[in-house]
Amino acid sequence: MVFKLAWKNIHGAGLRSIINVFIIALVMIGIIWMQGMYAGWMRMAERQSREWQNGDGRYTFRSYDKYDPFSWDKSNGKIPSELQSLVKNNEAVPILISQGSIYPDGRMISITVKGIPYNQKVLKLPTSELKDSKYNIPALIGMNMAKSSHLKLGDVLTMRWRDIHGAFNAADIEIVKIMDTPEMEVDNGQVWIDLARLQTMKDAEGKATLIVLKNSKDISFTSADWRFQSIDDLLIDLHNIMKVERAQALIMYAILLFLAMIAIFDTQVLAVFKRRKEIGTFAALGMTKREIIRMFTVEGMMYAMLASVASGILGLPLFIYYGTKGWKMPSSYESYGIAGLSDTIIFYYSPQMILSTIIIVILITTVVSWIPTLRIARLKPTDALRGRLS
Amino acid sequence: MKKLIMIISMAICLTLLNAVFPDGNELLKKIDDNMLSKTMKATYTMTVQTKRATRTMVSVNWSQGTEKGFSEYTAPAREKGTKMLKDGDNLWIYDPNTDRIIQISGNMLKQSVMGSDLSYEDFMEETTMQESYSALVTGEEIYQERDCWVLMLAAKKPDISYQTIKVFVDKERFLPLYEERYAKSGKLLKTTQVQEVMQVKDRWYPKQMLYKDALKEGKGTLFTIDKIEFDVKIPAYIFTKASLKK
Repeated sequence: MVFKLAWKNIHGAGLRSIINVFIIALVMIGIIWMQGMYAGWMRMAERQSREWQNGDGRYTFRSYDKYDPFSWDKSNGKIPSELQSLVKNNEAVPILISQGSIYPDGRMISITVKGIPYNQKVLKLPTSELKDSKYNIPALIGMNMAKSSHLKLGDVLTMRWRDIHGAFNAADIEIVKIMDTPEMEVDNGQVWIDLARLQTMKDAEGKATLIVLKNSKDISFTSADWRFQSIDDLLIDLHNIMKVERAQALIMYAILLFLAMIAIFDTQVLAVFKRRKEIGTFAALGMTKREIIRMFTVEGMMYAMLASVASGILGLPLFIYYGTKGWKMPSSYESYGIAGLSDTIIFYYSPQMILSTIIIVILITTVVSWIPTLRIARLKPTDALRGRLS
Repeated sequence: MKKLIMIISMAICLTLLNAVFPDGNELLKKIDDNMLSKTMKATYTMTVQTKRATRTMVSVNWSQGTEKGFSEYTAPAREKGTKMLKDGDNLWIYDPNTDRIIQISGNMLKQSVMGSDLSYEDFMEETTMQESYSALVTGEEIYQERDCWVLMLAAKKPDISYQTIKVFVDKERFLPLYEERYAKSGKLLKTTQVQEVMQVKDRWYPKQMLYKDALKEGKGTLFTIDKIEFDVKIPAYIFTKASLKK
């Protein structure tokens, strides 16, 4: 009966109800849209990281610290025999990392030199291009690197590096491919050459800094020199960025919800005031105060339920558009070097996320609808019948 | 047969070379004797001439053997008070702006000093040529109107930054007047030209040198010795970390 009465009242309120439902629906659409964006961004960054850089996890030489380039020459070791069969079968790819400098047009630019086997199939890098170059060392760079250092395809320039003992060496490299990669960590300041060549150049035969795995599920190799890093370990920075972004988004959700709840609260306060004779009549007919409060609260809750349906109808085209076409971030975002920002973000809406958003909005709306009705508890039926609020 | 003739010819050439030219390692010893001292105090002016700008820095330097060195920048105002202490493989830099001492060690010593064409190692280094290189005299040249021996130096150890160096050494003064430093591949990396020399008591020493990174554009780093004293008494506290904050 409570639901029936509540529905009749909402229906009777006409435009006021429509506006309330519309506002809550807009808030729901906004929240789901933003959450979809974050989820899509995260999924894409993870996928890109797997495809271009980290595979399904990797073994890292224990002393390697990516933030300390001066230690890199000492942070490599022989590829463990237990992993060599994986490397041979293209189930793992060894990478040797070195510090270096390039000199395009007499300008010195510090770079990271990375050696990767030209015939690897684990990562998406177009390494097959590194196989041959008639006179020079073939090198692969990303578009961002090409742009920032003013390099183009076919350019020949001098690269200087130190071997693992500390002696200087230098040779000419040729840019044989400029790759379009969404993963900034394999692009910015990086020059890729064939692993065997870099090992010879650095006097580090058979050595690597990282061994990236295609599939880490059945690998149980442990070593004092090599530490295993799962894909989650490797994406910890991204997860932390996402945590901060989501925390900022929560503030936005709270503001949106607050605005919507003001409308609901206002509607309820007005309803209690305008319908005091009706409240008195219900009380005179034998309804308890609790039942009357429940009726008003259910009305509020039903706004949110109707808004859920409305958000589905109104938001569906928007959700489908961003879920299929995605959102291309402005090109200036690429320079931030944050994973996933250099490509079109395809939004992802998980059922869990949609359901939790709807439940949270309904719960908050219910609580906000209930607070103004507490005045009913203090109302005397006789006063109410006379149209007074005590 | 051809191989045998080649080997015999090479042996004859080497014998002739040895007969005509002095022993390279003996020359290195003489260079070391001329250039090195137990202690040294000097005032340097370093002018870094990049593509865009020129910066001049003045420093007072103390050194003891090959192990210890201390420098204090006195100009320009921006660098004034910056101090560097080298003890073995370690280097500490004191920045007066932050009032902090930063330790730089190992590979960091191979980085550029104040944006110049010199690395910390080049700057603080006073290693003996004999210890690091074996030398072969390969010819004679006239450089800046002085008769010079041309020496090819080959590093004795794999961890020496420049594995090959070509040096023009003044035949009478045993002073290196021109140097070419090569990468392992044979690519020229750095040159040093002595532009002016001076006599300090019984030794000849460079007064002005131009260091140039051969791969980089720019005019290089001009290094002028304004004042130098050899075998002076240096108080022990100079080579302690405490002196950095004094």
